[in-house]
Amino acid sequence: MPRGSKTIQAWVELMSDDPEAVSALAVARARLPAARDLGQLRRLRLIEVSGPLPGRRQLEELLHRSIQFYNPHKERCTLRMGVADPVPLGGSERVALVFERGGERRAAAERWWRHETGEEVEVREGVAWALRLENGAALEDLALVRGRHHGLLCNPHSQELRLAVGEVPCPWMGAVSEPKRAARKRPKSPKGDA
Amino acid sequence: MSVARVGVVQFPGVNCEAESVRALGRAGLEAEIFRWTRRAAELRDFQAYVLPGGFSYQDRVRAGALAAKDPLVDVLAGEAERGKPVLGICNGAQVLVEAGLVPDSGRVELALARNRMPDRDGYYARWIYVRIEPSGSLFTRGLTPGDVLPLPVAHGEGRFTSATAGRMASLLATGQIPLRYCSAHGEVESGFPVNPNGAEQAAAAVSNARGNVLALMPHPERAQDLGALARCVAGPWDERRAQAIARRDVDARGPGLALFDALSRHLKES
Repeated sequence: MPRGSKTIQAWVELMSDDPEAVSALAVARARLPAARDLGQLRRLRLIEVSGPLPGRRQLEELLHRSIQFYNPHKERCTLRMGVADPVPLGGSERVALVFERGGERRAAAERWWRHETGEEVEVREGVAWALRLENGAALEDLALVRGRHHGLLCNPHSQELRLAVGEVPCPWMGAVSEPKRAARKRPKSPKGDA
Repeated sequence: MSVARVGVVQFPGVNCEAESVRALGRAGLEAEIFRWTRRAAELRDFQAYVLPGGFSYQDRVRAGALAAKDPLVDVLAGEAERGKPVLGICNGAQVLVEAGLVPDSGRVELALARNRMPDRDGYYARWIYVRIEPSGSLFTRGLTPGDVLPLPVAHGEGRFTSATAGRMASLLATGQIPLRYCSAHGEVESGFPVNPNGAEQAAAAVSNARGNVLALMPHPERAQDLGALARCVAGPWDERRAQAIARRDVDARGPGLALFDALSRHLKES
């Protein structure tokens, strides 16, 4: 990770029941043998912001200000500055992260951040499914689509699946690349830069 | 001889059922909307099936993912196994891919992933061209390889892809990609905007090996009237459109009917 660059996570969840999670739970229980012991299913959006970032208070204010990240009238956001910070998951919940392979970046959010702060950051987004499984049901069998009656949450032909065993990583979606400074030109060297 | 009956399967959120019924009727078939609330077993009374476009189950979890688990799709899979034709258009194609009915029965081997376009993101709608390829698909039966059809696309997730290296190329080699995105002159191109979503092998449709199930991203039912063709459409179909408008015959048969006519021919001969 380049010096001065870090990654934070915003865990965003609807304050009301999430319709996607309600439908997914109902269909999974009814149709998938691996989901017979699925006790609960919640859906959270996981947003990772990487780059030269300000402190917690300013970060919370920035995330709160733009619909690019979440709608504070309908959603709650839990900011996680690193692995030591808690995730908004229950003790018995396990989490499966799903994101589009090569399509996790959020260009509009990055443009908004540059406009507001002058800093170049990378914004990635995926879906974190929080599951309560009973009787030792296998999370991967339920998550990974293999056929009509096997898996639901991730089609491995276009999506990445990451399962958290114990501690939830931060960052979790991708390596942090070298951030660029926006709207700040480097001074030309006397010999002239290429 | 009785007219073949086609079930137009409507899951909640599907919104192209009426125009699909009309296109099938113009091809000489008897079409009936089959809603998700009916008993799945009743589907067996039909000789062919169309899964129209729309947003089944609001695209929850992933486009087509929830409908693919519906008991209706189990019946469809069984009937497809017996050789009955199944055409999935746009969201219907997403359901067939998520259900593993194409490219083969059972396993999910492909995805219809988010569009990949330069400098833009998300839903994309415009008229494109597809070229008929040599294939065993009954939905292009009677059409000449190399023929070009203008059709509209309207989707956010239409990029045929596979995590298995070479899988899409092998589908092309085995004639399971019966339609590919091309220029108005019939040259297949992989780049945007000719290929509107970044699909591998410029695939606009993928068929099963037997040729009776087709997952098709463009909307042929929206191109059934010549008068509906956009002014940007070039080539011979533009001339036909202009002639139809000049004689005030905007409902004249458009390019999209070719696929429904092929289905009709197949059902009459089988």
